[in-house]
Parts: sequence; structure tokens; C-alpha cells
Amino acid sequence: MSCVTHYTGNTCVHRLDPRTRLLVTLGFSLLMALSNHSGVLCVGVVIGMMLAALSRLPLKPLLKRLARVNLFMFILFLLVPVTFTGRTAFSVLSIDFSSEGLLWSTLITLKANAIVLVFAALVGTVEPMILGHAFFHLRVPAKLTHLFLFTLRYLDLFHHQYITLLRAMKARAFRPRMNLHSYRSYAFLLAMLLVRSLERSERIMAAMKCRGFKGKFHIITHFRFQRRDLIFCILSLAVGSILLGAIYLNIWRIW
Amino acid sequence: MHIAEGVAPVPVAAAGALVAAVGVTIGLRTMQDRQIPRAALMSAVIFLASLVLRLPFGPSSVHPLLNGLAGLILGWAAIPVFLVTLFLQALLFQYGGITTLGINTVTMGLPAVICYYLFNGYIRKKGTGRGGFLGGVAAGVTALVISFVLWAGALLLCGKHLAVIVGLALGPHLGLVLIEGLFTGFAVSFLSRVYPAIFEVPSGREGNGSA
Amino acid sequence: MGAGRVLLRFKNIGYGYEKDRPVLVEAGLELAAGERVGLTGPIGSGKTTLLHLAVGLLKPDRGTIEVFGRERRTERDFWEVRERMGLLFQDPEDQLFCPTVLEDLAFGPLNQGRSREETEIIVGETLEILGLQGFEKRITHHLSGGEKRLVSLASILTMKPDALLLDEPVIGLDPESRERIRSLLLTLPQAMIIVSHDREFLLSVTNHTLALRGGRVSPAAERAGGDRLSALPAREGK
Repeated sequence: MSCVTHYTGNTCVHRLDPRTRLLVTLGFSLLMALSNHSGVLCVGVVIGMMLAALSRLPLKPLLKRLARVNLFMFILFLLVPVTFTGRTAFSVLSIDFSSEGLLWSTLITLKANAIVLVFAALVGTVEPMILGHAFFHLRVPAKLTHLFLFTLRYLDLFHHQYITLLRAMKARAFRPRMNLHSYRSYAFLLAMLLVRSLERSERIMAAMKCRGFKGKFHIITHFRFQRRDLIFCILSLAVGSILLGAIYLNIWRIW
Repeated sequence: MHIAEGVAPVPVAAAGALVAAVGVTIGLRTMQDRQIPRAALMSAVIFLASLVLRLPFGPSSVHPLLNGLAGLILGWAAIPVFLVTLFLQALLFQYGGITTLGINTVTMGLPAVICYYLFNGYIRKKGTGRGGFLGGVAAGVTALVISFVLWAGALLLCGKHLAVIVGLALGPHLGLVLIEGLFTGFAVSFLSRVYPAIFEVPSGREGNGSA
Repeated sequence: MGAGRVLLRFKNIGYGYEKDRPVLVEAGLELAAGERVGLTGPIGSGKTTLLHLAVGLLKPDRGTIEVFGRERRTERDFWEVRERMGLLFQDPEDQLFCPTVLEDLAFGPLNQGRSREETEIIVGETLEILGLQGFEKRITHHLSGGEKRLVSLASILTMKPDALLLDEPVIGLDPESRERIRSLLLTLPQAMIIVSHDREFLLSVTNHTLALRGGRVSPAAERAGGDRLSALPAREGK
């Protein structure tokens, strides 16, 4: 049972070069963040939905992910239109909701959903270890890439130990409550895991050194930039330029 | 305590990313190759704590943020550690997001570094007795308070009307500060008794007269 | 056998970690007060699973579990069970998590709601019984393997349980620590189930031995043979 998962599959999106997907996601997010253009943001959400459909993201996890973002957006909708000064759009129980506030909240919601959808479809579909290798090829500092890769390696080890120790605590009649004893027990549990894992990681390191490891992973995954990647890049650039043009010329605004 | 995807306008996001980049660079410089496993362990712990650790709090539960603890153990290296953790959190369950990754890294990482300078020395000297617990409480509380201030500041920069959210978050965070303090206190008390070497942070510029 | 009150009863227990690969099928078992039952079986035959089912760390797919005279189903049902039944984990590293021995031994009694003063007295008594006087301030993480095993046993005994479930209590121990635990177990009054691969050890500390094979519990062949030979003088073991 791993706690590090990704959206598996074998769609055309999954077959794209992870480096391309990362860069396109970054570019797209930047564009969405830059724009306050209702038309462009709506197109962004549609693009996100299309990519999510193309990569066949499993519905339930995707909805959960979107729910987490939109819960915050829901709070924005409840609070911001009340505090935002402007024309009153409508009133509930004599509380005024300003139309500027509503529009602002809508824009933010569109932005967030567009980015989350594209991020999930393009980056969430890469196996995390492979993602680390893609970082390496994209000239992310080697130490940072190693940090990322080591973190992934330790996560499952750690998770497993946590479950085992907590089970043993339960067997000794531990029932978490809101009191000092519970907080102390959890803190000890975590600290013990940290100490054990640290010693274990040192043993692993020693074993790796015995096999000639000198502090650097050899990245053996090499990515091949293929024709489909080129097509994807050109397509992304084209869509990006059109959207950028729309923002610049201020056309196709919905409101 | 994070800023959600899409909320930050470009200037704020860019400023956050810039500060984070500087912090990450310093963090990576001070981190020696053999320290990477320790740093990675810490980011795994922080990530899992947010995923599985449920401290009962009223009718609900909270998880510790651990940036005070991370700072005490890692010093500047805490900043790249939070970058990795926050990226994974965004990737795996959309906690935060990529456009706000920089801001969130600063919000979490900077207080960690401050705690390192304020309390690491004290804990190394007085950690085995009551000092370990007290130092830990101080670090946990300080880190969380600074994080909250940075978070609130960033949110206000994103839009003045978001003040209402800061106001609403204030109450629950007072409780959080208490729990974070106690939790960090107990953890530090454990570590300084069982494995005090964990608080020895290499300053990276050792040898040529550290400032 | 069967003279005492039944403390634990498994009826037709079925359990599998994966859906189509059951570990236990129709497993049945009884533990009566004062009884010491040995449980053997190949690796992966479900011995540990059975112990974890008894205290509700796992929930059975089929069958009923009766502990201390009541059928137990929900998590809440097992709260009381865990306060009265001590489970020793196979690996002490899975069990010990506090900085010092004192804190670890106090964990169980505090969970039972005992006061700090009472807990400290119990801890002192328990350490004395186990011959671990002066261990209170020792760092558990730095103890030797044998000491860790003794301390994890002590951490269960401080809860003053009515029954013990011991998962491989002497595995991987040096002969000395092994003998120490063996003689300790003989002095304990509690009913117990002892899981072990070590037939000789089981013969010397239990009344009878059961074997887990193919997901079912049956009398162990060796012991059954031994019982048949019991008419002969000079029986080995006990």
C-alpha cells in the first residue's frame, strides 16, 4: 500500500515526454495566473477538462482533488462579496453581496480550476520517481532532485513503520483524545520513527557506499523527444499565443 | 496554512517565488551531500504528518506543521525541504498549488530558519533536561506565529478584502499554536535525550570562519 | 483442560489480507483461565493474524470472536479487551516508542486511566519482578535486543492483564535471555497463548500445543504423539 500514487494509464497524454508536460503545465499556469480575462479563463477550464478526459483521470480521485480547491472557493464566495465594496448584486437576510466581489470570486475560481485540471492531467499522470528524473534533465539543481528522490524513497518505509507502531499503541489501549498524554504519545511516536529511520538511512547509505555510491544517483532514465511531443508543443504554443493575444487585444470578454 | 492555487496575483506569486529561490539556494549550499538523506527523511516526516497524523482537537483534528522542528534539525536546509514537501502536497492532494508554491515555501521555511538561529544553540546546551521541552515549545510556537503572520500578510497582498479570511482563521490558529508548541516540545525532549546529535547542523561555511 | 472460565473463543474465523487469498478459513480456538496454549505453524500461516484479531487490530471477514464472555464486533467492543488482554509484538521495535523505559512502561496504565502515582508503583514492582531494577531512566532505543524484549514484555505486564498473547517471545534471543523469559513465563499466573516456532520451548512452557495449517487450527502432531506416549515413563519436556 503506497501513499505516493499517480494517475496510471496508457493514454496519449501518458505517452508524452514528462519534460514537455512539466514545461507546458508551468507555462499554462503562468498564463492563467496572469489573466483576469473571463473568456480566456473559461477556455482554460475547458482545456483542463479536455486534457483530464484525454488522460482518462479516474473520476473519484479527481473530484476529491477539485473538491479540496473548491471548498476554499466556496468560502470566498460566501465572504468576499460581503466585504467587497461595490454595487449590490443581491441581498440575503439584509446582507448585501456586491457584484464586484462575486465577479472577483468567480475569476479566482475559474483560474484555480483550470490550473488544477491541467496540473492533474499533465503532471499528476507522471510516476513521481520519473518526475524526479525529469527535474534532473530540466537542470533543476542536482541536490534538490536528490532530495526529492530520497523523499519518495523514504515515504513508504516511514508510512509502514508509522502504521505498525500506532497499531501496537492501540493494542496497549491507546485511544487518542484531546489531552497532553495523547499529544505526548504522538510526538514520541514521530520522534522515535525519525530516530530509527535516520539510523536506518545511515545503514542504507553505508551499504550503498560499499557498492561504490559517491553521493549521486545515476539518472538512467533518458527521455526521447518524439514527434508527438513536437506536435503537442506546437499546439500548446499556438493555443497559448491565441489566449495571450485575446488578453492583449482585450477581445472575447464574457463580462 | 497555505495559499490555495490561483489566489495569488502574478506580482505576489513572483515575489514569493523569488524569495523562495534565494532561500532554497542558500539551503542547498549549506546542505552537504551526506546530509541529503537526513533532509529527505524530514520532508517525508512532514509530508506524512500532514497526511496521517491526527491530533484530536475539539470535535475535529489537526496535524502539526513541524516547521519549528524542521528548522532546529536542518537550519537553512529546511527551506528546500519545505519546497519538496509542498510540491508533493500540491501534486498528490492539491494542498496549495504550483503558482503559490513559492509563497507557501517562504511561509513555512523562513520561520524554520529563524527558529534555528533562536533556539538551536539553547537546545544543544540545555536539551537533556527540562530545557529540551521548553526550547521545543518555544520553537514550535515561534515558528507557527511567524508562519501565520507571513501567511496573513501574503493573503492581504493578494487582496485587501481577504482580511475577513485572516480574521476567521485567527481563532482556530490560537489553538493550533498551543498544540504545535506542545507537540514540538515533546518531540524535541525525546530527540535531545535519545539522539542529541540530530541537532548538530553543519553551517556549510565551516572552516572559513562562520559569521 | 477446559476447567476454567473461557476467556477467548474464536468460532469459524475467516480472514484474508487480499480478497481471494484467505489466510484463515474456519479457524476455531479457545483459551480458558489458567490455560497455556502453544500455537505453531509455518510462516505466513496466520498465527500473528489470529493474535491481532483477538484484540481487534484486525476485523474478521467471517465468524465470531468472544472475549471475556461477550461477543466483540466493533472497535468500541475491543476497547475493554485491549485494557485486559496483553499482546506482545514479535518485534520489540514495533512496540517501544517512548524515550525512557519508565515512560514506556507507564504508557499502558495511563491509557487504562490509572493515576500517575499508582502507575509509578506498578512500574517499580514490574521491573523488580523482571529483574530490571534501576532501568527506569534507561533510554529504550539504546537497550540490547534481549533487554528490549524484556522491557516490551514488562510494558504489557504493567497493565495487569487477565490474559497474554505472546508472539514469538524468544525468537532471535541469546540462550541466556531466552532462559530468563522462559522461567519468567512459568511464574506468571495469566492464561496465555504463545506463538512460537520453537517446539522445545513450547513444550516447556505450555499445557498443550495447537497447529495452524491451511487456515485451520488443529492439535499439533508432535504433541498428540507425545500424549499417546504419555503412558511411558521418563517423558521429556515437563
